[in-house]
Amino acid sequence: MTAAWRRIRAVAANTFLEAVRQKVFAVLLVFGLVLLGGANYFAEFSFQEQFKFLKDLGYAAISLTGLLVGLLGAAQLIPAEIERRTILTALCRPLRRWEFVVGKYLGLVALLAVMLVLMAAVFWGVLFWKELQLTGIEAGDAAAVEAIRGEARDPRLWQAFLLIAAKLFVVSGLAVFFSTVATSTTFVVAMTLMVYLIGHLQGVAREQWLESGEALGWGLRVFLAAVTLFVPDFNAYSLIDEIVAGNNLAWRATLEVLAYSVVYVGVLLVAASWVFEGRDL
Amino acid sequence: MIRVWSWLGLVAFLVAWGGIKIPWENQMARHQRLATLGFANPTSVALREKLGQGLALAALGGFRGLAANALMLEAHGAWEKKQWVRVRSNLEMATILQPRVALFWDLASWHMAWNAAVAAENFNGEPSETRRRIEARKWVEAGRELLERGTRAVPEKSILFQRLGDLYWQRLADYQAAASCYREALTKGDAPVFLERFVGYALAKAGDREAALEYFRNLRLSLGEHPDPERKPEVLDREIRRLEREIAEQRQGRVP
Repeated sequence: MTAAWRRIRAVAANTFLEAVRQKVFAVLLVFGLVLLGGANYFAEFSFQEQFKFLKDLGYAAISLTGLLVGLLGAAQLIPAEIERRTILTALCRPLRRWEFVVGKYLGLVALLAVMLVLMAAVFWGVLFWKELQLTGIEAGDAAAVEAIRGEARDPRLWQAFLLIAAKLFVVSGLAVFFSTVATSTTFVVAMTLMVYLIGHLQGVAREQWLESGEALGWGLRVFLAAVTLFVPDFNAYSLIDEIVAGNNLAWRATLEVLAYSVVYVGVLLVAASWVFEGRDL
Repeated sequence: MIRVWSWLGLVAFLVAWGGIKIPWENQMARHQRLATLGFANPTSVALREKLGQGLALAALGGFRGLAANALMLEAHGAWEKKQWVRVRSNLEMATILQPRVALFWDLASWHMAWNAAVAAENFNGEPSETRRRIEARKWVEAGRELLERGTRAVPEKSILFQRLGDLYWQRLADYQAAASCYREALTKGDAPVFLERFVGYALAKAGDREAALEYFRNLRLSLGEHPDPERKPEVLDREIRRLEREIAEQRQGRVP
């Protein structure tokens, strides 16, 4: 097992370095600028509105950047290796195919994790700067200053950040699964995006399927069953909206979604390894 | 042949996982509803909001917050131009996208029941005062309806109940309804301290001085011997004395 782990680590490190060399971190600069620009744009609103805008903007920017990096990174993983024939030199070494898949995924996750941490640092920096700006304006009103500090230093933001990371790791797992089936990067991106979008409606499809009984036609029932069985419930991550709205959210709900994500990634990696084992290269 | 078996095995594995994940996802949805809305089963209201939200979610892929903010900015622009129908449609859409954001319901109802209604009351283009009042009343009702929906979408916070109370008081002159809303707000735990006195003020304003006096007396008793100064015991004492005097005067003035 230790030898397998060593091989997985080597593949992951290689994948990470390859991705970093593609200047992917340049997007961080764009992210920081977007956020700083957005922070000043809403200055005419109340501080609650300003923080809501800023948090929405920050989380959307983190999600979108992470989604693009995860999607494009995963799409490049296996189809590009096959196209360049470099996969043959990797697999002729004492490396099992599942180790290759897991290593590739972990490399991608490492890249995403580093990017997320850096983006989160920029985000918290902007929130802190906004806090200084607003507390300067409201200096005379102790209650307002307290409320501004509460908004800027809200510990629930950690929960939102973890939920975004978990969602991106599941999307990357999906992309890795499709990259073991596909021969082109376009297919991987298109399929993953489709499942990502459908996944936000999976909860509605599930309830319809479970509760409608005979009321629906069999064609629609089969479609709803397929969505329910094979698509992750991305709506579960919408707890982020609760946090941005300033509503209370128990850690238990967050931890449940995190556990679901970990298990889902495990299932996707098993499925991806399964497909890749049987694939002719 | 081996490949067919391999694919069938994969499908069987994913179906087996589906069998595990469906109850898990159901339980997770129940827990999330309980944690955020305070009830486990979807109500008709929750379903209504959820359907709109679900479609929007699919279309926006999880970036609802940004879309809702864009609509709010759009509404702000429309407000500056006094285009009330645009203000209403944009803010209603924002509340569909993010029904759990109390701020949207609050803002939308304020624009409807106050800004749009006052603009309708003062509209120079309509010479008939009756028609202007009818039009204004429609906007106030629109604001009330938004707040009613908002209190069902964010039932755990006091703010929308408080705003609904304000609307009943200031825009509809229905002080009993205002008192009920303030009472409901006070059960939420995050209500501002001053709101506890507003129930009594609303009852007195409604003409029910006896009920107001009883409410203020009970409230004063609940403060104990060493009350928190923030709860303003001196204001309560003053209100009790005023109501006692007014009730006594009323009784004396009656024809025996």
